[in-house]
Amino acid sequence: MKVVISRTILFIIFVLALLAPESYLLAAGNLLIKNATILPVSGPPIPGGEVLIIDGIIKQIGKNLSAPAGARVIEASGKYLIPGIIDTHTHLALSGTNEGTDAITPEVRMADVINADDPAIFTALTGGVTMVHTMHGSANVIGGVNVVLKLKWGQPSEKLVVKEAFPTLKFALGENVKQSNRVLLPGRPQRYPATRMGANAIIRRELLRAKDYMTQWERYEKLKNSKNPPRNLLPPRKDLRLETLADLLRGKLYARTHAYVATEMVEFLRLAKEFGFKVAALEHAWEAYKITDELLAAGVGISVFIDSWAYKMEAAEGIAYNAAYCTRRGILVSINSDSSERVRRLFNEAGKAVKYGLTQDEALKMITINAARQLGVDHLVGSIEVGKQADLALFDQHPMSAYTRCEMTIIEGDVYFDRQQILKNREEAAARKGGN
Amino acid sequence: MKKRIGKLNLVSGSRKVFLLQAVAILLFMILSTSSPGAGEEVGPAYALVNCKIFPVSGPPVEKGTIIIRDGLIEALGYAEKIKIPEDAEIIEAGGLTAYPGLISAHTNLFLEIKQQEQPQTPDEFLSSFSQLSEPQEFPELQIFKELKPKKQTLESWHKIGVTTVVIAPGRGIFQGQSVVLNLNSDQPNQMVLKQPWALHINFTTERGIYPSSLMGTVAFIRQKFYDTLHYDLHKKKYLSSPVFLKRPEYDHFLEALIPFVVDKKPVVFQCNNQEDIKRALRLIEEFKLKGVLTGCNEAWRVADHLKGAGVPLLVTVDFRPATASIYSQQGEAVRKKAEAEVFPANAAHLQKENITFALTGFGLSESSFRKNIQAAIKAGLSPEAALKALTVEPARILGLERQLGTLEMGKIANLILTRGDLFDEKTKVIKVLVDGILFNYEEKGQ
Amino acid sequence: MFVRKIISSSRVQQLLIFLLIYGLNLQLISRPLPESFCSNQESQEEASDLMAIVNVRIIPVAGPEIPSGTILIEKERIKALGSNLEIPSGLRKIDGRGLTAYPGMIDSFSSLGLVEISGVSATVDNRETGRLNPQVKAIEALKYDSMHIPIARANGIVAAMVAPSGGLIAGQSTLVKLDGWTNREMVIRESLALVVELPGIRGGRRGFMGIGGQEPAVSTEKALSELKELFNKSRMYEKRREAAARNLLLPRPDFDETSHCLLPVVKGELPVIFAVHSDKDILQVIKFVQEEKIKAIFYQVEQGFKVAEEISRAGIPCIMGSLYGLPPVWEDGYDSLFLNPGLLNKAGVKIAFSSSSSSAAKDLPYHAAKAVAFGLDRLEALKAVTIYPAEIFGVDKLMGSLEPGKLANIVLADGDLLELGTRIEKVFIEGREVDLNNRYTELLERFKKREEEK
Repeated sequence: MKVVISRTILFIIFVLALLAPESYLLAAGNLLIKNATILPVSGPPIPGGEVLIIDGIIKQIGKNLSAPAGARVIEASGKYLIPGIIDTHTHLALSGTNEGTDAITPEVRMADVINADDPAIFTALTGGVTMVHTMHGSANVIGGVNVVLKLKWGQPSEKLVVKEAFPTLKFALGENVKQSNRVLLPGRPQRYPATRMGANAIIRRELLRAKDYMTQWERYEKLKNSKNPPRNLLPPRKDLRLETLADLLRGKLYARTHAYVATEMVEFLRLAKEFGFKVAALEHAWEAYKITDELLAAGVGISVFIDSWAYKMEAAEGIAYNAAYCTRRGILVSINSDSSERVRRLFNEAGKAVKYGLTQDEALKMITINAARQLGVDHLVGSIEVGKQADLALFDQHPMSAYTRCEMTIIEGDVYFDRQQILKNREEAAARKGGN
Repeated sequence: MKKRIGKLNLVSGSRKVFLLQAVAILLFMILSTSSPGAGEEVGPAYALVNCKIFPVSGPPVEKGTIIIRDGLIEALGYAEKIKIPEDAEIIEAGGLTAYPGLISAHTNLFLEIKQQEQPQTPDEFLSSFSQLSEPQEFPELQIFKELKPKKQTLESWHKIGVTTVVIAPGRGIFQGQSVVLNLNSDQPNQMVLKQPWALHINFTTERGIYPSSLMGTVAFIRQKFYDTLHYDLHKKKYLSSPVFLKRPEYDHFLEALIPFVVDKKPVVFQCNNQEDIKRALRLIEEFKLKGVLTGCNEAWRVADHLKGAGVPLLVTVDFRPATASIYSQQGEAVRKKAEAEVFPANAAHLQKENITFALTGFGLSESSFRKNIQAAIKAGLSPEAALKALTVEPARILGLERQLGTLEMGKIANLILTRGDLFDEKTKVIKVLVDGILFNYEEKGQ
Repeated sequence: MFVRKIISSSRVQQLLIFLLIYGLNLQLISRPLPESFCSNQESQEEASDLMAIVNVRIIPVAGPEIPSGTILIEKERIKALGSNLEIPSGLRKIDGRGLTAYPGMIDSFSSLGLVEISGVSATVDNRETGRLNPQVKAIEALKYDSMHIPIARANGIVAAMVAPSGGLIAGQSTLVKLDGWTNREMVIRESLALVVELPGIRGGRRGFMGIGGQEPAVSTEKALSELKELFNKSRMYEKRREAAARNLLLPRPDFDETSHCLLPVVKGELPVIFAVHSDKDILQVIKFVQEEKIKAIFYQVEQGFKVAEEISRAGIPCIMGSLYGLPPVWEDGYDSLFLNPGLLNKAGVKIAFSSSSSSAAKDLPYHAAKAVAFGLDRLEALKAVTIYPAEIFGVDKLMGSLEPGKLANIVLADGDLLELGTRIEKVFIEGREVDLNNRYTELLERFKKREEEK
């Protein structure tokens, strides 16, 4: 029986090794990366630089650093070290994307349905991505509460959650919530809203309801704390839907709003002003280049595709210059994938911006520090600086080049993706196969 | 093959009385089938002699005697210490081993499950979509009322040693309330040990209506729990002081939840993968429920969470990885290997982590249930722990530890006699006693 | 002036100059004189037909790089190119300083002109209903003024195979240049190939919205036997119609559209593009192609690397699908799609890249570069978007490299053609400089005015 047990354990280890080839093997979080061209994003490139990581935190950046005993040393000559890539708009690592039955579902929380087993996490790591904002879909005008995850593949879901990030609530506007590209099933009525007018009206209605709800609770609390509260005083019904919206109005949540056309963006920003809630960023924002003044005035950034366009009517004026032009105008821009496939080549997507007017540095910022700022985690990640968490990616060529390849992805000093290790594993597997 | 009433002990003075009694009994037997439980009957008395005994509550007895009377264990112990009552029918059990009857604390026996027809054409699909807008929520459902016990099923479960089962509903998110049954007959009323036992909740979704996603389901459950608390509070306030308080509108859904959410009767969460376990634990914590987790074939992956939680586990020996599991996501070879080598070790891991659990055959046929228990043992679970997980542990989780789970004086006479070690592949169950009713399963040709 | 002089002088002189120019491209010396070079009378009269790109780095693809040289263009063709090429004065000169000249790229599989806004069905013309559509021709629906064409052009793409999709037989693809005032003006090959789509690795599309049985709709085996039957039917149809034409006593089969449209295929005149995916299916199709004696091109071949030798031996070229995808099965490894082109190329398979798109047709070079990142040789990658597709489509005498006599499909780039940041400064299609303005630039300019008004 013992033999069977140990064989089973061996197999489990083998499977774990497949899942996370390195992470469990290493002394956690201690690394020295040598001789890399460091692109810190926060400053000029450092050729032949070294980064020392202790307990997952960047301790030193410089040259001729010495590694403490037990720390792994990574020789990276000829390679480029960048901050881990951050994708500000994905739906990966979730069981389900939309609660699409109702136009208003702020009561749902992505944190309830994280699936740490989603292979998309690994896929993203192979492209140097270390952090994602994983969101409710765009089926509803008001979706759910999103979550920011670090892609610690092989770790339990609760260890993935980045608690320091802005808590955000997904809104969506335009064709998706209008359901204009949807086949209407027989016997089912068209859902409200079917127009952009309706979408805005619904948001206003729900926020007014949420205000009412807050007032009800205030009245209850006052009465309860009064000198002679009624004996049978009943608290209001706790409504999870309105609780979330109340949190938005209280400033505890930030809106992240899927929007394409100029008008709906302008109108949403007006709503935000009217109700005094915060907008962390506009998603997709294909026509942002038309309303740069309004975006600047509102101080709202955008999270966009570089050039994935023309897949529906509202994306037909989505020009590849959008990200570059908005950046030039001073808007905070990040590039997102919104896809469990594109996520692994987000660096290529950012690289395209160079063609449309940005420098390589500016392009790289869109998937690192800009993204971190939009998620409220720029004090932790997004650049290579002493004191920040060691979320890093190593590329064999400049990451903004079409010819580059991600070699290694590191989160808090742990190696979660190592191409060379994968190649080695493959060779060994092939040898085993050949040997049998 | 099966003695329903068994040989009754007739304490008779004369032949006449005996005849009268015989007629009465005959009448009773006829009547009892039409109106079960109409009258009290006195169960038979047996003396099982010369058997090896695994009482589970104590060390095994190599050669012992068990006295059973009227459905209960009257006495048991070393052969030389137990006096066989004069009225007991002696059953020679030399070469057999007695165990407490096994308990599978999550099954869906005796239910006529309507197969949901898969639409085949686009038209069927579309129409099915618009028809399925009825919510599939049944918090008030008593599965007991739906039972259609069949002797055949009963016997096939006896043959793998199971004498007690939980039968749980299986549709919707709020699935309804389960029942604990002794497999003693095909008469539901006679079978009941606990009715209802628990509210069963599954993290599934509705089709086409809210909640249609897992995230919606979690929110839906939470809202219902909050609503129950509010509804209950409203009712209580109204009862104590109805003046200037509008009465609460009757809500059958929330009414059904009160015993579980407010009065803390058990709530069983079906956990199909590791994330479900964590989801359930969060809900149990948030609402301070008396939670039980079932399914849990990935429990070893969340051992850390389970250790501190003290939430009872009903671990199925269904080794098929859930669709969301990593083991289903990396190709057929990995999935098959996981099913054969990783998942069977679940129970062994839990044992190593000192997490107690009951084993169930949830999702499995009786033959797979038995086969997979053996596989779990091969993967490192100790046979002692396996036996406990099928007897005393489920009895404890069901709150029936004083009646069931071990062979002890005064407990319900649920026991099985096997030829060979319970968990050996070739071992056969020869005799089964449920509530003291004897069922014989002699091997053919012996 | 100089050119005119030499053309008017003796044949001997002509040959000398020819050698001078072509000496750089030794491998080409054995080629016959290009047509335009020989027909001297016309050129003599019209100096304006000549144009030169000077001081330009030239990557001819067909030969070694010329660090700084000249390309002489006459009308629609390249007349000459080289490093010490002397050119007459007075003709239009384009200074290519800082730029690199490449042959224009060919997108080997696209839906340019057929799909405008994929989510708006009114603008989608690439997918006919039904399973067997050998009769439908991409060229007949091609929107020549698609907003995607100028964008692709502005990224250095000068020609594209435009293909229908859907069903088992999707229809006939066409090869077009990305310039023309009508669809017909764009034609290079009206009907290039018949597109056949075999089931995917996961069993292909299942019924409606993934429902309707557990079995894949059609297995590759079934699909191939169905094709075999259709091909055979077409052959017999032809045979009986011909026999009936000769012998009036024989009954003449009624017109059968499918059989009729498959005739060029069974006669070996029209190649078949097989969208095929798994290694097993690839082997099946190779056998099928050999048995049926048809011309075949493979498309997508995600697991081609597993049977690269077999594909190479069969001599069937492969068009890569979009590399913007995930490996079809986890076991293939995360990078299988990226490694595939390099491994096929190494095994001697002729490969070409495709965008497999219209709105992302401009990304063609990036697919090639991605394959380079995972092992494909750089020059081979460049060939796989230029000369290899030209060869696969049988138009390598016309395009695909910068060589005298070929059409002047030239791209002037400010950097590496396949690189993301590279800007395309000028594009010539058949000697004409094309407008690089497009939807992107037009909208940008329009809304930039708001900023400028202030």
